[in-house]
Amino acid sequence: MTALMTTLEAPATPKLKRRTFGELLTTDLRALPVLVGLAFLWIFFTYQSEVFLTARNLSNLLLQSTVVGIMALGLMFVLLVKEIDLSLAAINGVTAVLMAKLIVEFGFSPWLAIPLSILLGAAIASFSARWVSFVGVPSFVVTLGLGLALNGIQLLLLPPTARYGLMGTGIEHIAQTYITGLWSWTLVTIGIALYALLIFSNMHRRRQLGLPVALLTSAIMPLLGAALLGAICVSIFNQHNGIPLPVLIFVVLLGLGGYLLKETQFGLSLYAIGNNDEAARRAGIKVPVIRMYAFAIAGGVAAIAGIISASRTLGVGVFSGGGVGGGTLLLESIAAAVIGGVSLFGGRGAIYAALLGALVIGTVQNGLNLMGVENEIRLIVTGVLLIVAVSIDKLIEKFTGQKSF
Amino acid sequence: MDMASNNLDTRTPLISMRNIRKSFGSLHALQGASIEVYPGEIVALVGDNGAGKSTLVKVMAGVHSFDSGDYEIEGKPANIKTPSDANERGIATVYQDLALCNNLDAVQNLFLGRELTGSSWFGKRINRAACEVRAREVLTKMRLGNLSLTRPVGAMSGGQRQNIAIARSILWQPKIVILDEPTAALSHSAAEQVSSLIRSLADQGLGIVVVSHDIHHFVVNATDRIEVMRLGANVASLKSMEVTGEMVVNAMVGGNESVNLAG
Repeated sequence: MTALMTTLEAPATPKLKRRTFGELLTTDLRALPVLVGLAFLWIFFTYQSEVFLTARNLSNLLLQSTVVGIMALGLMFVLLVKEIDLSLAAINGVTAVLMAKLIVEFGFSPWLAIPLSILLGAAIASFSARWVSFVGVPSFVVTLGLGLALNGIQLLLLPPTARYGLMGTGIEHIAQTYITGLWSWTLVTIGIALYALLIFSNMHRRRQLGLPVALLTSAIMPLLGAALLGAICVSIFNQHNGIPLPVLIFVVLLGLGGYLLKETQFGLSLYAIGNNDEAARRAGIKVPVIRMYAFAIAGGVAAIAGIISASRTLGVGVFSGGGVGGGTLLLESIAAAVIGGVSLFGGRGAIYAALLGALVIGTVQNGLNLMGVENEIRLIVTGVLLIVAVSIDKLIEKFTGQKSF
Repeated sequence: MDMASNNLDTRTPLISMRNIRKSFGSLHALQGASIEVYPGEIVALVGDNGAGKSTLVKVMAGVHSFDSGDYEIEGKPANIKTPSDANERGIATVYQDLALCNNLDAVQNLFLGRELTGSSWFGKRINRAACEVRAREVLTKMRLGNLSLTRPVGAMSGGQRQNIAIARSILWQPKIVILDEPTAALSHSAAEQVSSLIRSLADQGLGIVVVSHDIHHFVVNATDRIEVMRLGANVASLKSMEVTGEMVVNAMVGGNESVNLAG
């Protein structure tokens, strides 16, 4: 980076100018290409199948996207600090199997088994982070090895039948619970109220200190957008069964994650470390500690995703956590984060990336299913989309001469 | 900046390092180096590669310890063991690589690691507005009032980035600012801007130490005093007004003046 900067010439007077569209594409409007792509996919599938745009199918699509979306959300924290965790799918599997074992064999209440497995997920992932920081082995290697080891442990934990059924244990309620009617609207209202509180608190601070406040762009537009989006989603969900609980969990995690990344000192440290860990260290940021928290979040969130998929499949087995090696679950989680705009090289990506990336992958899966296309084709299309998404990003950088941050 | 606190007539140097020795194993990096910096003064530290100037500023900034010698800040023993000790005693450093995060904007870079935050009940939420006001204040003082506060600094020019790094160093009101090769990566006009910025900091009463290789332009034109180092010790102390670049280079390499002029 520094070598690149030495060649830059400074203009005599820096002046404030309106940003060009190209610059906006690499900063504030970075989500635009993904949104356009998603819109194309939706239009395409709407033409291909009349079922696609029905409330029932859209509700399904979102439900299908939640596990990958939640995984991508957790992984994002690790990617932001320029690390990767290849054991997340294995953590997803092993914590779900452990939870099932505790409930089925040892008679634990789900209320105890679920927090335990989430804590275990966080502990396993933070162990990798400690290892990376102290021994200096790249996270790629540590988590690859750890993932394989966890796959083995997962198989050891399973009974001879290779499966724990979770029907009748209470876990199945997670996937089968839908929130409808007044409750669903109350939830949307609460969500938007919290968002408004955050926006108005920021505006209040600016106004108190005499800073300019852009009422339209920083308050009215985002709030109206959120309200509109929330209302559309809830009315679609309510036409079918209501808001599926897993989708609600995903949305809550997105909200929490967004707050952490955008508003807190911890979130800013993640971006700083991802871009220049030496600068972060010199600025007094405790890099190993922040890194450990990032991994812990990813591990805990992977365990949550594991519990949700166990609930959807009404049991755990060899297939939990994407099967041995993480299977498509691991690859799709990484792909979702990257398609959504998270950089594998650290310091880049906003919270919506997890949602958009998971929606793209979920849409392809759902749409091709409706068209009756084989699973093989789905994998090919997802793979190509990943490459296309990253390429578009690179091409925008190339043609606007702006580096994305 | 209370620079004239008690000793009004006999000026106490902000920093006084005398006879500093420092060895890395069998390598004697500093063999009795000395430097004094007074308020409002810009001191250039020059020397060939390996002369010990970087080691000296690193000792000053708390990055390295030293084996023997006296290090005083405003007449009292410095007792600096770590870079954060140095920060607390009012010594700020602008590194040659600037140590900026390219994906963050100016305000975020200025406050990195020391953000003004709310309570930990809300996860230490950053008070962006307060940071922005303070950042604007400092930048205006540096006559950089029109610098964008919201663009990522990676999208800025080399001069602007250098300015932001300097602004960060004076954000917490230090007494001494150490700059390592501030003009090395800059074009001629940007380097001029940085020199006038450094001058305005000195005019506000700060002591400035600059390590630079840019002898012919920056060192002779923009500083007050030149400390020349060779083989870990001072060999000359020159008034910048009175010397030419050639004379400084001669003192650095210790060669014959006519030979060097011929080269």
